[in-house]
Amino acid sequence: MPSMNAVLFISFLLFSVGVAGVLIRRNVLIILMCVELMLNAANLNLVAFARHSGTVNGQAFALLVMGLAAAEVAIGLALVVALYRKKDTIQVDQINLLKG
Amino acid sequence: MDPLLASTGHYMFHVFGLMAVAGALGLIFSKNAIHSIVGFLLSMLAVAGCYLTLSAEFLAVAQLLVYAGGIVVLFLFVVMLVEMTKYKEKGLFQSQAKVAAAVVLAGAVVVISVFWSTWFGPAADQALTLGPGLAQGLDVAKQNAQAVSRGLFAQFLLPFEILSVILLVALVGVVVLAKTERV
Repeated sequence: MPSMNAVLFISFLLFSVGVAGVLIRRNVLIILMCVELMLNAANLNLVAFARHSGTVNGQAFALLVMGLAAAEVAIGLALVVALYRKKDTIQVDQINLLKG
Repeated sequence: MDPLLASTGHYMFHVFGLMAVAGALGLIFSKNAIHSIVGFLLSMLAVAGCYLTLSAEFLAVAQLLVYAGGIVVLFLFVVMLVEMTKYKEKGLFQSQAKVAAAVVLAGAVVVISVFWSTWFGPAADQALTLGPGLAQGLDVAKQNAQAVSRGLFAQFLLPFEILSVILLVALVGVVVLAKTERV
């Protein structure tokens, strides 16, 4: 069994890589994948704390988060396809429909 | 507890965790979107391995099914639908990428310093173990699916049902968003 500090550290690394990817990439698909990465880091924390507290509530909650992530990525990809039809691009710096 | 897992679980977690971080870095820094998806897949598989070493077997299998089986395929479909070679010459990163990377590094340093100072005490360096109450009621290490389903359907029944409604709404919403307007 790994220790708590190791799990928290790995999950922190995953989360910060996800944040960096959301902030620096132009491609909407990569940004969506980085959001999934952050959700997985949170799930890893949930499982580790469930282990630490000796219950399975955290695992059940991680399962709920996983279902929510699936719904989120489906909607996000549908939005990407709709945007590509409308604007002919998926680079976030060119999607500026709301800019005055 | 399986003695083999008990002795190697610590190292296996580090191996899987480093694989996950390496896959995430590959996801961010690769030029080709397909290569990014392969990095994402590696990261998700490694996270499933992390769940296994934390003895959350049901969650590991669910991770494999949902991410490696579903979400990665969805991403692949969209990458093939969308033409991305047109904008390749404009560069991978945003114009504010350097500032953003500096901000993320600064935040990481702050979080690590907090982490270092509030280091979770001597108890956190012990191997994670089960509480005695649960360990005698249900052998989670052997019957993880039963324990998770008991938590899910007894204690978290309302969130579970709300999640099913959310999935239904997402299903309808995706069909409405992605259909062509050729009525």
